[in-house]
Amino acid sequence: MAFSQFLDSQRDSCKALVARLSEKFGYVSILGSDVKSFSVSANKSSTTIGEGNLSECGFVVKLHNGKAFYEYSLDNIGDVDATAEKILASAAIDPSLDDKTITCRTVKDDPMVKSFSREGDYGKVADKDILDFCKRTKDDILAKDEGIVNAVTAISGFNVSKLFITKNKELDQCYSWINGFMVAVYKSGDKIVSAREFAYSDSIKDVMTELPCHMDKLIDKLYHLAKATPIKPGVYDVITDPSISGLIAHEAFGHGVEMDQFVKDRALAKQYVGDYVASPICNMRDGAASAVSSASYFFDDDGVLAHDTQIIKDGILVSGISDLISASELGTQPTGNGRRQSFKRKAYSRMTNTFFEAGNDKLEDMIASIKHGYMLFETNNGMEDPKNWQIQCTAEYGIEIVDGKLTDNWVSPVVMSGYVPDLLKSISMVSDDFKVIGAGSCGKGYKEWVRVSDGGPALKVKVKLA
Amino acid sequence: MNYNIADIIKKNTSVSDYRINTTQTDSYELFFVGRALETVRSTSTTDTSVTVYAEHDGMLGDASFNVFASTTADQLAEKVAQAAEKALLVDNKAYELPQNEELAKEMSSNFTSYEPKALAAAVADAVFAADNEVNSSINALEVFINKNIITVENSRGIKKSEVKYTAMVEAIPTWNEGESVELYKFFKFSEFDAKAVTAEIAQSMREVAARSKAQKPNVPINCNLLLNADELQELFHEITGELSYNAVYFSQNAYKKGDNLQKGAGGDPISLTARGSIKGCTNSAFFDATGVTLVDTPLIKDGEIINYFGASRWAQYLELPVTGALPCVEVEAGTLTDDDIKKAPYIECVSMSGLQLDIYNDYIGGEVRLGYYFDGQTTMPVTGISISGKLSEVLATARLSVNRVARSSYYGPEKALFEGISVI
Repeated sequence: MAFSQFLDSQRDSCKALVARLSEKFGYVSILGSDVKSFSVSANKSSTTIGEGNLSECGFVVKLHNGKAFYEYSLDNIGDVDATAEKILASAAIDPSLDDKTITCRTVKDDPMVKSFSREGDYGKVADKDILDFCKRTKDDILAKDEGIVNAVTAISGFNVSKLFITKNKELDQCYSWINGFMVAVYKSGDKIVSAREFAYSDSIKDVMTELPCHMDKLIDKLYHLAKATPIKPGVYDVITDPSISGLIAHEAFGHGVEMDQFVKDRALAKQYVGDYVASPICNMRDGAASAVSSASYFFDDDGVLAHDTQIIKDGILVSGISDLISASELGTQPTGNGRRQSFKRKAYSRMTNTFFEAGNDKLEDMIASIKHGYMLFETNNGMEDPKNWQIQCTAEYGIEIVDGKLTDNWVSPVVMSGYVPDLLKSISMVSDDFKVIGAGSCGKGYKEWVRVSDGGPALKVKVKLA
Repeated sequence: MNYNIADIIKKNTSVSDYRINTTQTDSYELFFVGRALETVRSTSTTDTSVTVYAEHDGMLGDASFNVFASTTADQLAEKVAQAAEKALLVDNKAYELPQNEELAKEMSSNFTSYEPKALAAAVADAVFAADNEVNSSINALEVFINKNIITVENSRGIKKSEVKYTAMVEAIPTWNEGESVELYKFFKFSEFDAKAVTAEIAQSMREVAARSKAQKPNVPINCNLLLNADELQELFHEITGELSYNAVYFSQNAYKKGDNLQKGAGGDPISLTARGSIKGCTNSAFFDATGVTLVDTPLIKDGEIINYFGASRWAQYLELPVTGALPCVEVEAGTLTDDDIKKAPYIECVSMSGLQLDIYNDYIGGEVRLGYYFDGQTTMPVTGISISGKLSEVLATARLSVNRVARSSYYGPEKALFEGISVI
């Protein structure tokens, strides 16, 4: 799908508005955003087709003059002079705050003119074909077992066009991403369980080809989850699948190296740059350019090009990730991690694709090394605590390991918690395979949701499970 | 946009009905690093969503799309045509749209007495007024002042609007002596009371001071669990979600009418009513997204499920009364007093990473960042522990406090005491 015609038509207005506002402010940027999204789903007795929840179209203007930053979000540029007047009037803060602002070095505005795009088949597959696929797949799931009380198949996607204009910079990008999932709900006696499977790609056709391949796994999970029992709380040797490894990377350390937290003195990691924070066999990266996923872009919402940032190198913390404002305040180079939930929201330092790098161990050797423990699978949710390095990660299920072998004993759900350095330093084996899972979302605190991916190899750790 | 959306929809003969939802948002936002103002934001935006319906073959299909300020009249006509085609592909069982009601409401709020800039500054002042201890500080503060005008209209004579005012505060109380620790504080309100805001933050400052002294217990703990209103809001909304018409229609509700959540109970019987609007709850609403007027509905009486609730479409499928999608819950007070709480050892969860609930797996648990452990004689702050238990067994023992408080979508007991929890 080509770059937004609407944003193209607004380039000159954006440049004129930047010029007008530059009469009063040293740094002025405008981010234009035109995101199209769709969602198609079918369940047992209902279908939906419509706009996805990521759609948006509007602009955010950022102003800076060496003190506090100011932003204004609006639907349309319209008349440049009138809009400029409205923004300037709104930028005047309450007098009681005049002497309470930060002072911050002027944002650099290096010249750059570039266009970026990533080809996909967004908009090239007929709605009817997608809907028929969802209905057919849902029927196939329901036909597997009379105990399946509901099944959902859904395909959703988004196509992003963004335009970034400053006095010296003119960037645009266009890319798309597709997520598909299947959920089945199964009733066994009085117990109801659900299981899910995903497929994701920049191609709708690829997602529609891959998703049904996971159906047998989906059904098998239902049968096992119906028999799953609660785990006996305790500290165990654990193997994490790539999803749980990614959750650890994300929650344990990813949030802790978001450098806007450094500015606020909210991240313990700030004091540990250059120190061992993990086992020496542990390496971790983040970046929109580190992988291709729903969190991959060419430039961030501050107009900074995407990076591939090494965060942990051989167990040593080497770098954080930053947005434009935090980098300006800290006097560092921004790493292309300034992301907004939408043009209506502030940009913060946010993760993109966050993962542990592969190691040298074979998964079967890792399992064989455990006398009694669990292998954990599939992210449910997690919560960060960058200041105090506590972690909570919930896995959908675990499988008991006894005498070096996976058993048929499943436990669900499983909540993993502990102290981050203890967890990361306990990593004793890292598998040689690797997967980044590209279908997640992440909040900051309890808001500001953005698309993220995470993953990695299997890890052997020692951790508390409950 | 210089056109009438409904007029353009009506020109498409494939469309049998339509609905238009809009949310106009004006916000003013302040972002502080410590006490220094880092970023100021204003927004002035409108979200418009159109749903078109197409009757075909005895079925009713629908499809939705967004309209932006940039959308031209010709583009809108094209979007309507595309949506109509999609709606004709959707073969859902027919149902009636809500009809013939008009309403214009404005939520009562003293925000109207302030300029947003001045109100945001006053809220920030009220927060920082609690930051007066030598060893503690507020390391970050975000203040959002929002005015939302929400409208819904449809082709059957629904035309409703409500004006809502909300302030959101996200503050990070931090203890700076020795090993620095923090807590996360997030709350909303629609009536500004500077003293109440300062008191809320002051309470968090005391809690973060306690967290700085908290230690992981060095002996196994076996005691009762005391949850506060924030966690009780999560717990009761999770239960209420299982009672929605939607869940019932798809046979995936873990609870059904007649079930008793407190079998063999020795605790206070739980009685819960889903409501549209409750004083002090910022999620209160007068109507739902389809325009249905909300009807308060008792769902749980003395521990027994007595009703379901939900939106018009699912109500019609199930042939049950239309209540609308009710956003708030009210839970009746119990008998628990402060003296009762102290009759046996307990751990009070002051700050959790997040209460983990899995009704399908009968699970309740989570990591406790700050708890107060009462061993029968003294109270001490604890951290680094996790709780877990069987939800059904825990609910059966619930003791609900006499005092009730309001949260964003909850009005009910301020505290509840439970048995049957493991602590590690």
